[in-house]
Amino acid sequence: MLKILKTLCIGALAATVTAGTAQAEWPKDRPIEIIVAFAPGGSTDVMARAMQPYLEKELGAKIVIINKPGASGEIAYTQLSQAKPDGYTFSFINTPGYLSMQVQRKLRYDPKSIQAVARIVDDPTAFVVREDAPFKSLKELVAHAKANPKAVSVGSSGVGTDDHLATILLEQAAGVSLTHVPFPGAGETRTALLGNHITVGGLNVSEFAGGDTTNIRPLVQFSDKRAAEAPNVPTAQEQGFDVVMSSERGLAAHRDVPADIRTKFSDAVKRVVDDPQFKEQAKKLALPLAYLSGEDWEKQMPKRLQSFQEIWNKTPWVQ
Amino acid sequence: MMAVRSTFGRTGNHPDILAGLVFIVVGALGLWAGRDLRVGAAAMMGPGYLPLIISSLIVFIGLIVTIMGLVRDNERLDVIRLRPLLIILVAVAGFAYAAESLGFILAAIWLIGVGSMADRETRLREVAASIVVLTTFGILVFIVGLGVQMKLGPF
Amino acid sequence: MEFLDSLILGFSTAATPTNLLFCLMGALLGTLIGVLPGIGPTATLAILLPITFFLPPLAALIMLAGIFYGAQYGGSTTAILVNLPGEASSVVTAIDGYQMAKQGRAGAALAVAALGSFFAGTVSTLGLAIAGPALATLALSFGPAEYFSLTIFGLLCATVLASGSVIKAIAMICIGLLLGMVGTDVNSGSERLTFGATELFDGVEFVVIAVGLFGIAEIIVNLETPELRGLIAAKISRLWPTRDDFRRAWPAVLRGTGLGTFLGILPGGGATLSAFSAYTLEKKVSRDPRRFGKGAIEGVAGPEAANNAGAQSSFIPLLTLGIPSNAVMAMLLGAMTIHGITPGPAVIQNQPELFWGLVASMWIGNAMLLVINLPLIGLWVRLLTVPYRLLYPAILLFCCVGVYSVSNRAFDVALAVGFGFLGYLFRKAKCEPGPLLLGFVLGPLLETNLRRALLISQGDPSVFIQRPISLALLVAALGLLVLMVVPAVRKTREEAFVDEES
Repeated sequence: MLKILKTLCIGALAATVTAGTAQAEWPKDRPIEIIVAFAPGGSTDVMARAMQPYLEKELGAKIVIINKPGASGEIAYTQLSQAKPDGYTFSFINTPGYLSMQVQRKLRYDPKSIQAVARIVDDPTAFVVREDAPFKSLKELVAHAKANPKAVSVGSSGVGTDDHLATILLEQAAGVSLTHVPFPGAGETRTALLGNHITVGGLNVSEFAGGDTTNIRPLVQFSDKRAAEAPNVPTAQEQGFDVVMSSERGLAAHRDVPADIRTKFSDAVKRVVDDPQFKEQAKKLALPLAYLSGEDWEKQMPKRLQSFQEIWNKTPWVQ
Repeated sequence: MMAVRSTFGRTGNHPDILAGLVFIVVGALGLWAGRDLRVGAAAMMGPGYLPLIISSLIVFIGLIVTIMGLVRDNERLDVIRLRPLLIILVAVAGFAYAAESLGFILAAIWLIGVGSMADRETRLREVAASIVVLTTFGILVFIVGLGVQMKLGPF
Repeated sequence: MEFLDSLILGFSTAATPTNLLFCLMGALLGTLIGVLPGIGPTATLAILLPITFFLPPLAALIMLAGIFYGAQYGGSTTAILVNLPGEASSVVTAIDGYQMAKQGRAGAALAVAALGSFFAGTVSTLGLAIAGPALATLALSFGPAEYFSLTIFGLLCATVLASGSVIKAIAMICIGLLLGMVGTDVNSGSERLTFGATELFDGVEFVVIAVGLFGIAEIIVNLETPELRGLIAAKISRLWPTRDDFRRAWPAVLRGTGLGTFLGILPGGGATLSAFSAYTLEKKVSRDPRRFGKGAIEGVAGPEAANNAGAQSSFIPLLTLGIPSNAVMAMLLGAMTIHGITPGPAVIQNQPELFWGLVASMWIGNAMLLVINLPLIGLWVRLLTVPYRLLYPAILLFCCVGVYSVSNRAFDVALAVGFGFLGYLFRKAKCEPGPLLLGFVLGPLLETNLRRALLISQGDPSVFIQRPISLALLVAALGLLVLMVVPAVRKTREEAFVDEES
């Protein structure tokens, strides 16, 4: 019995054992470390572990996933910026946290030392209400909030998250005043919404689309076009409010990693995202896959960074 | 070996005095660390509101406990021996230092080797055996078996 | 009848050889990681998550659930034997359990813990089967105001935990509260009390404090007083509890089970709160509270039953509403979504074999744990006869690796050195670390919910008395306070501790 157990454990964890170190060309030299900036079991971690076998196959290399949780990613990004730029260390990065962090505090690392390699997921922010709520659309919600300033409470997954920033943007676009109530995560937000303790839950599309939508009604998704996972939920722009916000996830490396390694890695990620088997698995996890090459992704960043800076200058979300 | 007896005063409850002093130091540390935080008001509490209240309360209780300890019946501290205290703390601190740069094997050898010196009954041959057995056990169970993300050697 | 049919369906699904095998595997692995301090079920589940891709969904869930409740069993073993609580819910077990071990009654403590846990697990599994959906709705009615009042009540309970002076216990709770505030403030997003260390932005880890205050400090004190440890090994008398032990333990188990089943459904500190309040309850109803803190078997039986019941009933919100009540449940939720299962009311209707199979497997798993653990007691107790000079380096190594593995960083180990020193000072100052840990666990709940409630009510404090559950909890807390202050009661309290204060 114990033997089976052990074999099973060893089998599962073989990936974490350092392999032999014969000199070879990238990526055969040694295992590639991918840093996850969040604790095991979180949605980024689950996604990383789901991708691991596919990416190993595409690259023909071993991959080790290392969790370095803390300070909303700053600890992981600091480590990435200090890693040797030899193509054996990558890290997941998440927006808007990765960008808003640069606005809201002095960081321990230089954001310029990190370069995006591939975007994998683009998960629009959405507002949901209880099924018995009187609001049927974002317009009705905004009208109610106009008549009753501060009475509409919006739960988010924390200060500076996409839910929170979307709330601020909506307040400015619609000229209303909402009460922002931060929770530690989407689970708590959902609980509070179902228990009728808050009016609106700020969730991402992946956090309700694949799941159980009994008792909740999505009002709006803050994307530029409706996500494939939530085709029936209108966007904010469709309802007359120019607010776009989403949570993106992808991989990044040190800027000095040779361009051909970055390209090879990025291409491997693209093939994984296109793999029908992986697509099936992503569907189960309700991951809105949206591959973008590192260059294309980085092109979007300055604009978003600037808009965060503008919000920050007007209403700093951290005191 | 080194045994320090409580030296201050003949009267007074020494454990209470020590407790009071520890409380005052911890509370003061809290007040100092939170000095720049926005306090806010009861209805709109800032991040510094509760730390200020709690830290002040700890200092206040510390003062009371110290004063009460001074006037209460005499009770001495238990014996304090510096050897186990210092050696254990140094052993663990060394493990912390070694774990990230030198890897598990060297860190474990340091921890067990130095840590074993804390006990006077320790025999050299047993320490050597402990090092071998526990380090091997640690590699198999923690690193391989449970997948603790720590490298083995300094490379 | 429908209920019976469902149970039969559950047992027939859970009793297939594959599912039994995975149940046993989970329970064994859980016991193993529970015994190794520091390495918690959360990290283990995360590591095993990828393998579950290749298993049938029910087998995967059965194994993951087994790891979780197996760890609860294993965690109390180290708490009793070496005074090292692996997680928040076994902190109180260490108080009286370790004293029993010192008196040579480790076997009795372990046996009562295992039997009590099994009984509690059975009852709350049944509770989950019968009243799951209804209980889940109750959990939803707990909003910020209710949580605030509940934590106030819980903190007042903590003062009863300490067997020494009340004022020192209050100071210890406050230090715990202060430690709980270290890190990023949820409500404003700003960092506080971090001394600028990024490693502290997410606060201090529970395991770091527990290992420092309990593990490291305990080792140092034991090494200082060699005369004490010879006694432990010499005094081991019998493995099985006496008839008197059973007589004292069973009502405590009953009370603990009830409390745990109820509090476990609440998201947040459910299992922890239930263990702490079970201890308080036992001490309050006891005719002779003086025995607590010195090896009272009720002090082991009640909390152990409560934390196991709490662990089982924390599945209720997950399975019926899809709401994870703690990190482990969040992981299970992840495992379910990987298999395309969405926990929620629909699961019971659409996939009854999954829901009932899991429920039945929990009972089977608990029975297996009992069978595994009872014979192991002899082995564990024999561990105490190993000379301490050989034992403590091993404990040190487990502590260090456990602390490191929480976030994979050496910073936490270094921090544990600081807490070890602080714990040593507390020993010398005769301050008990238990209340500090409760303050630490409940502190963030207290503060965020207080501020959240006031935020939603737009600064109106009357929410706390306008909501009936919140009001009831505050009244109960007030009652507890009065009980402590009323002169008559205070007299018995003083009598209770007269030997320690003189």
